[in-house]
Amino acid sequence: MEDLNPCTGLVERLFWLIRLRWIAAAGVLLTIFLIGQVFKFQLPFFPLYIVVIFLVVSNILYIRLLDRFASVCKIFEPAMADSESFGIINGIANAQITLDMLALAALIHFSGGIENPFIFYSIFHMIIASILLSRRESFLQATFASALFIVVVALEYLGALPHYCLKGFILVDLHRNLTYIGGIFFVFVTTLYIAVYMATSISIRLRQRERSLRQTNELLKERDRAKSEYVLRVSHDIKEDLAAIQSCLEPVEVGITGALNPKQLDLIQRAVQRTTKLLFFVKALLEITRIKLSKEIKIDYFSFKEIVSEAIEQVSQKAAAKNISLVFSVEPSIDRIRGAREYLREMIANLLANSVKYTPREGRISVSVADKGNSILLQIKDTGIGIPKDELPKVFDEFYRASNAKEIERDGTGLGLSIAKQVIERHKGKIWVESEQGNGSTFYIMLPK
Amino acid sequence: MAKILIIDDDPDIVEGMKVVLESKQHQISVAPNGKEGLKKVKEERPDLIILDVMMTTINEGFEVARDIKKHQKTKDIPILMVTAIRDRTGLDFKGEAGDKDWLPVDDYCDKPLKPRELIRKVEQLLSKK
Repeated sequence: MEDLNPCTGLVERLFWLIRLRWIAAAGVLLTIFLIGQVFKFQLPFFPLYIVVIFLVVSNILYIRLLDRFASVCKIFEPAMADSESFGIINGIANAQITLDMLALAALIHFSGGIENPFIFYSIFHMIIASILLSRRESFLQATFASALFIVVVALEYLGALPHYCLKGFILVDLHRNLTYIGGIFFVFVTTLYIAVYMATSISIRLRQRERSLRQTNELLKERDRAKSEYVLRVSHDIKEDLAAIQSCLEPVEVGITGALNPKQLDLIQRAVQRTTKLLFFVKALLEITRIKLSKEIKIDYFSFKEIVSEAIEQVSQKAAAKNISLVFSVEPSIDRIRGAREYLREMIANLLANSVKYTPREGRISVSVADKGNSILLQIKDTGIGIPKDELPKVFDEFYRASNAKEIERDGTGLGLSIAKQVIERHKGKIWVESEQGNGSTFYIMLPK
Repeated sequence: MAKILIIDDDPDIVEGMKVVLESKQHQISVAPNGKEGLKKVKEERPDLIILDVMMTTINEGFEVARDIKKHQKTKDIPILMVTAIRDRTGLDFKGEAGDKDWLPVDDYCDKPLKPRELIRKVEQLLSKK
């Protein structure tokens, strides 16, 4: 699911800026090299390389810093996101842009000052500021860039700073030409301010949209939660009544209250069957709702091989009754994993029970567990009826049952696979299926260790 | 034949269980809540108690069980806890069954209980006694 937390959003954009800075550093390095080696300009290369080193080192520091705050963000989200840590990260963003501009000013100063057209690359800093920062902060950055321009150019003009002429690129030394300086300054400043104005206009609108999207998303989550709680309450009440109905019907059905004539027995049996089916459905509904509502599930370490064996054991009788062979293989490196043991075992048993149900006699079900480094891959492959191609995307939906499954078994909740999906998603894993009608199905479950 | 006390607030569930257990000639008495249940435990000294969890409060049954197991005179009476509570609380009984302080009962099962299953559990607990 998309994370709409404003704090992590800013962190993400800062990581984007860090990637851009790598490109910038590489570009500067290449340019300096070309100017020196190909165009043979006479420039002080040592300080230029120092600036590149500064860019690289500062970028590494930013990554360190952000990693620290990004984890803070994740731990305290979303409560802290809006206040304290957002302020800190916003400060980091401001500092980065300011330092980047200082680096650019240094590069410009050592490579021609006012004569160097790269001076206009400040516009990129303005665009980045407009994307990352507020409008006010962006205009402040534009003002800072303009001031920096004046200071460097003025100091060079007055001779307080040495001027490195870009001989070979320009025809006459321009750093003391006031008309030229004034013209460039005017265009430079207006360019920056207009760029900030345009870029912030767009980014403010985008941010507003993002905020309203976030609010809608939260509202939807809350609604969904309220709906789930409602489902939980209603189905629990239904279950209580069903339990009472069954408690009264079953003693009659098994003859405790006296012998029944065949017609009576038949009707009672029908009633018991229907309540059993309904009870089964309500229990499944309770199960999935409970998983959805639970904030956390009980996690421990356990042997994955053991729970798969237990799940296989649970269905082995039914498989044997249909002469279905059950094959199980585990890579030896599979050991303990972290998770909710009972949920996982029950879910695997459910998938296996499905396979047994929809695999004809004399079929074959193979279960394998493979080691995939950070995760494990469980595969349940059967020679069953398969799933029609156009229905494949829907089988994990709540209450959905494949058309050919309905033909084989009329009663079914259509909740088994959606429960499985919920359980797997709570483990940050993935479940998917490959199947062809008439040619069996293979369910895959990827679980982090 | 044994004296069995059913503590449960659902009269229909009680009636169903009563019919099943009376067919095995057990003598049944009933209490609709924990308070009356405890009173009957002391007065009647049943051989077995069938106890519901959710009655007046969501975990009244737990408190009743703890109370029974606390007193010297009643602590040996086996308790069969019959419940639908897992659905509302998400408590996993399997993990907790070994912890006698937390859930001081001798056996437990989900509602509804099939007649044969009820008879089997009751016989088992009575023979253990």
